[in-house]
Amino acid sequence: MNAWLRQHRYALAVTLRRLSAQPFSSLLNLLVMALALALPLLGVAMLVSVEPITRHVSVTPEITIFLKQEAPAQAAGELAARIRKEYAQQVRAVRTITRDEALASLRSNPAWKQAFAVLLDNPLPDAVVATLTEGANLADRANRLAQSWQQWNDVDWVQLDSAWVQRLEAILRFVRIGLFFLAGWVVVIVVTTIFNTVRLQATSQQEEIAVARLVGATESFVRRPFLYLGALSGAMAALLAIGIAALALTPLNTALLALARSYGQEFALHLPSMPVLLIAVLAAAALGGLSARWSVGHHSRA
Amino acid sequence: MIEFQHVFKSYGRGRNVLANINFRVSAGEFVLISGPSGAGKSTLLKLIGGLEPHTRGAIQVNGHRLDQLPARARPYLRQAVGVILQDTHLLFDRNALQNVMLPLAIIGQPLVSAAARARAALEKVGLSGKEMLNPIELSGGEQQRLAIARAIVNRPAILIADEPTANLDDDNAQRIMNVFRDFNRVGVTTLIASHDRPLMARYATRVLLIESGKFSDSHGACP
Repeated sequence: MNAWLRQHRYALAVTLRRLSAQPFSSLLNLLVMALALALPLLGVAMLVSVEPITRHVSVTPEITIFLKQEAPAQAAGELAARIRKEYAQQVRAVRTITRDEALASLRSNPAWKQAFAVLLDNPLPDAVVATLTEGANLADRANRLAQSWQQWNDVDWVQLDSAWVQRLEAILRFVRIGLFFLAGWVVVIVVTTIFNTVRLQATSQQEEIAVARLVGATESFVRRPFLYLGALSGAMAALLAIGIAALALTPLNTALLALARSYGQEFALHLPSMPVLLIAVLAAAALGGLSARWSVGHHSRA
Repeated sequence: MIEFQHVFKSYGRGRNVLANINFRVSAGEFVLISGPSGAGKSTLLKLIGGLEPHTRGAIQVNGHRLDQLPARARPYLRQAVGVILQDTHLLFDRNALQNVMLPLAIIGQPLVSAAARARAALEKVGLSGKEMLNPIELSGGEQQRLAIARAIVNRPAILIADEPTANLDDDNAQRIMNVFRDFNRVGVTTLIASHDRPLMARYATRVLLIESGKFSDSHGACP
């Protein structure tokens, strides 16, 4: 092992000795940073859990036209043909769903099976689903078409099916921006906490620093234990934050899963993947090291 | 080894603590820097150890011009100069052995050989068997010897000490001077600031006297 590695080992030992010399305040500092880091982590957990849903559902507007109950049986087919003919440029595909097909589909869903089993008649209407072509002003175009088709004979009401996906996407955009600002605040909290911890350490270790300089310590030698203190604090706080977030997700998921299963779905919030968590820990360590470097530069000048 | 040429030292805009100091110390000399309290003896030693900057003139220590030495290189000069200040500057959160091992940790010495060298240094100053004691458990004379052990563990070329026998009884003072003499005999250039001239005169081969702002040099003839 060369001298450089031995000096690092010594710095690490000094750091651990200083941390263990004040276990209560060290733990409190870690807890403050961990709680702060756990907030954006939970937010990211929500994002990474919800985003796949929006990715797998098409955001291309589909317009569903529900016909009146009293409409003749051939009305759905005629309406589909009219759309194909008059709106060929704007509509990519048109399909009809008869009331019998709709009922069969719902009966196959365990969430609805029981409710539909008691019905004597089929209460569902015939429907026509039009998938629009991609292009500019898609949302406006979909709205105009929906309003226009609402006026047609035998049409009960027209529904823009993809609106909820677009709303969800807008909410996720909002959450993403919110998380960005939250992450900024957390960075400030972590930097401030580590800066202050290192400042206190540097002040309380003035005598040791002076002695080390007296016997030939370089600036790197003096600063190294403080950098380790910052980096270790950041990394340990991040690990603690992951633990806190994982603990918080357990009761949340129990409730969420029960809700999702009542709709015949499986859905749970989960933490980001291991590589992402590892990057988060390394980033927290780097942030801790940098703020310690900043602090010790201010408070341990020769 | 050490050369002062027209060296001045003042703090802020105040009067000169040292004015126009000129002398040269060769390798292996045992020099006493003497004079009354406040004459500037400690300041002179701090200038040699690179612990404080001088105001004017040129200082050369161990082949380095201090005014031309970049800040990042000063620690390496300090590693070559063993310093024992009036206040021993021992660390009371670790034992005697760990105190002596600090300079070796700084240069990245392996732990086992560092411990061996530190034990040898403690033995040289007569502190064998007290390795595991905290400095607070040692007497004043022992603390002073512990500071000497820390200063010599790196095998410095120059040893400087500021009032190493102050507040010690005659026996302890003599014991410490014997330690310095032993190191000087193996070639370590030794400079000691003290106002206890009778004691020092028994050991030093040369006296630099600072008195009433004047500087005189015995030039090898110890008064």
